Amino acid sequence: MTIAIAGNPNVGKTSLFNVLTGSRHSVGNYPGVTVERRFGKLAPRFGGETLVFVDLPGTYSLTVSSEDEAVAFRALTGADDQTLGTVLLVLDASNLARNLYLAFQVLELGVPTVVALNMVDVAERADLAVDSAALAKALGVAVVPTNARTGEGVAALLEALRTASSAPAPQPLQPGADATAWRDSAAMFDNVADAVRGRWLIAAIATGQLELARPSEDERIALADLELDTAMRATSQIVTARYQRVDKILGQLGYAEKIRGTAPAMSASARIDKVLTHRIWGLVAFVGVMSVVFVAIFSWADPVMGLIEFAVGWLGQQVANGLGPGLFTDLLKDGVISGVGNVLVFVPQIALLFLFLGLLEDSGYLARAAFLLDRLMSRLGLHGRAFIPLLSGYACSIPAIMSTRTISNVKDRMVTILMIPYMSCSARLPIYALVIGALFVSTDPWISDGVDRGLILLAMYALSTVSALAMGYLYKRTILVSPTPPLVLELPPYRMPRLGNTLLVVYDKTKAFVRDAGTVILAFTIVLWAVLSFPRDATGAGGEGPTRVADSYGGRAAQLMEPALKPIGQDWRIGVGILASFAAREVMVSSLGLVYGMEADEDDPVELRRALREDVDEATGKKRHTPLSGLALMVFFVYACQCMSTLAVVKRETGGWKWPAFMFFSMTAIAYVAALLVFQIGRLLGYG
Amino acid sequence: MVPAVVQSLATLQRGVDAEVVSVEGGGAIAVRLLEMGFVPGSHVSVVKAAPFGDPLEFCLRGYHVSLRKAEAARVKVTGVKVASP
Repeated sequence: MTIAIAGNPNVGKTSLFNVLTGSRHSVGNYPGVTVERRFGKLAPRFGGETLVFVDLPGTYSLTVSSEDEAVAFRALTGADDQTLGTVLLVLDASNLARNLYLAFQVLELGVPTVVALNMVDVAERADLAVDSAALAKALGVAVVPTNARTGEGVAALLEALRTASSAPAPQPLQPGADATAWRDSAAMFDNVADAVRGRWLIAAIATGQLELARPSEDERIALADLELDTAMRATSQIVTARYQRVDKILGQLGYAEKIRGTAPAMSASARIDKVLTHRIWGLVAFVGVMSVVFVAIFSWADPVMGLIEFAVGWLGQQVANGLGPGLFTDLLKDGVISGVGNVLVFVPQIALLFLFLGLLEDSGYLARAAFLLDRLMSRLGLHGRAFIPLLSGYACSIPAIMSTRTISNVKDRMVTILMIPYMSCSARLPIYALVIGALFVSTDPWISDGVDRGLILLAMYALSTVSALAMGYLYKRTILVSPTPPLVLELPPYRMPRLGNTLLVVYDKTKAFVRDAGTVILAFTIVLWAVLSFPRDATGAGGEGPTRVADSYGGRAAQLMEPALKPIGQDWRIGVGILASFAAREVMVSSLGLVYGMEADEDDPVELRRALREDVDEATGKKRHTPLSGLALMVFFVYACQCMSTLAVVKRETGGWKWPAFMFFSMTAIAYVAALLVFQIGRLLGYG
Repeated sequence: MVPAVVQSLATLQRGVDAEVVSVEGGGAIAVRLLEMGFVPGSHVSVVKAAPFGDPLEFCLRGYHVSLRKAEAARVKVTGVKVASP
């Protein structure tokens, strides 16, 4: 039997799901949408029954207005592929005045329902405790008080679920005498749909999302004459009638007067918010929180990433030693094993970012961050929720793009995904460091002694940030036009975040990345290896020198492309580096090392810096690399989408190659033009 | 008793316990506002404004919700009484 868990966001729905399934579950997507679908069997410690739980998206309502509600609606009305047994409706006991609205929507459907009255401890502390027996009587279904954090009440809840198989009578809501719009609209359905389904379709017309409700042909015809204005008035009457029911029950339970004009469950949180959403201290605190997160990501992820790179290198060497030189060894070492390494190297950053975002979300702080920064984001035309994914782009585009799932509007999510790769991620840093270290030396007349190298680095970050915002502004008004999404944001009470729940999310996200994006990254790495290693050295010496890279298809392509590279101040050697860095931007350093025939230490490539600085064109006697050409190269990397892993993740998140292709070609074109402008204008001004 | 003057939620002063009269306009946002509890008769008050003056935080039906001024302007309310400080 399948049990669907429904409830508002922030009511402990997922905690309860984790308790019931013993944290063992699988994550998939609902067909055709990016809404996550989590399901799991009842944990063995509760007895060996074959109960299957599906954790529906947390929604305030079942009225079809976005994908989340549509998924919940279809699951609960049986339009989904799975047969529905019982609905487990989770209500927040400390927030009944709003939670009961969803409860009535579910009860109207007439499916077997059991209510978990969760967070009873919070309600008690806020003096909002309710008599669950009285609530059960008022609702007409079993109500079990629970505390998902401690597991209290779960046994009783299961008992209620086992006996709730018989469907209660649907509780149809009848239009009152004055609800004429509702009456008129409902009459249109007399012959095609029952009163309950008709009500949802009317509301779906009012929200402009009829398609998400998947109406039948007959229903479409019946609705053709319903005017938008009538649908809106009818929906308003339906919603008001539901809330009248809620208020009646709240009055009976003695709950109504306790919350009139006040929010007892929020009293402690409101005191915390005096600081955390204060107009000055709130922003200071936000900068502080985000600094801690970023410092932790950089300082914790870096050693682990180094370890992964070391392990991959060691394994490759072992394989090479064991098999001896040859084509197969190279494929295994430089294709397959480095490909796996290219996937695994992202795991620390993904895990850490989702760990912090999960804890912040669970605590209630992310909603405050959206509240604080919505004004800035709404100027771009985005929701306050888009800020955190964008900011995460400074660490790494991969988890940042994965975290855009919190943005419900599809177009706005797309705009955010397209903006993220412009943010200067941590993998660009080694390239900036190499170029600045090699070409911006204080003895150079191009810069005065006082100019700090740090300022150039800062300029690159500033350029990337401004560009990301500008591109977002542009996309929002050209190819992804949609009105600024409204902000209706609950600020839930602060709660102590639970590490266990967050670690499960971290595990799910990491697994999904390795499974879905990993194969693409592996394939790209092997192709790239082939491009840079074929044709094989005819002499059979298998030398590791510059000749080999220069003679490879990639090297030849770079030499052929030199006429295009010259105008941006680069030669074919840098071209090979650009090509190779598609595997991962930091590979630029090691591949340039290969071109110049040396082992380049990625962290401190002293030799390579000197080689770049002193490289002289024999024909002209001039230096090949100047501060101006270096600047053009850095600007190129600010804009270029030189990261196949980003493209692989965008493919996973958007379900096709259209957006990753657009991203790659548009960013490369912009990068080229920007580098061209920098180099040519610089030359006109007499630099370089 | 202050006479009931209908005004927009976007211009409601802090400390005033107001009652929702109606949600103006249509579309998904109007439905969402209603479903979040901005139905006629619900009590609502302003908690604070965000650092840049927008959005606003409201207390409604025992919880806190944030709306931009643009959305809050759709909600018509009557000031009921000045809450005791």
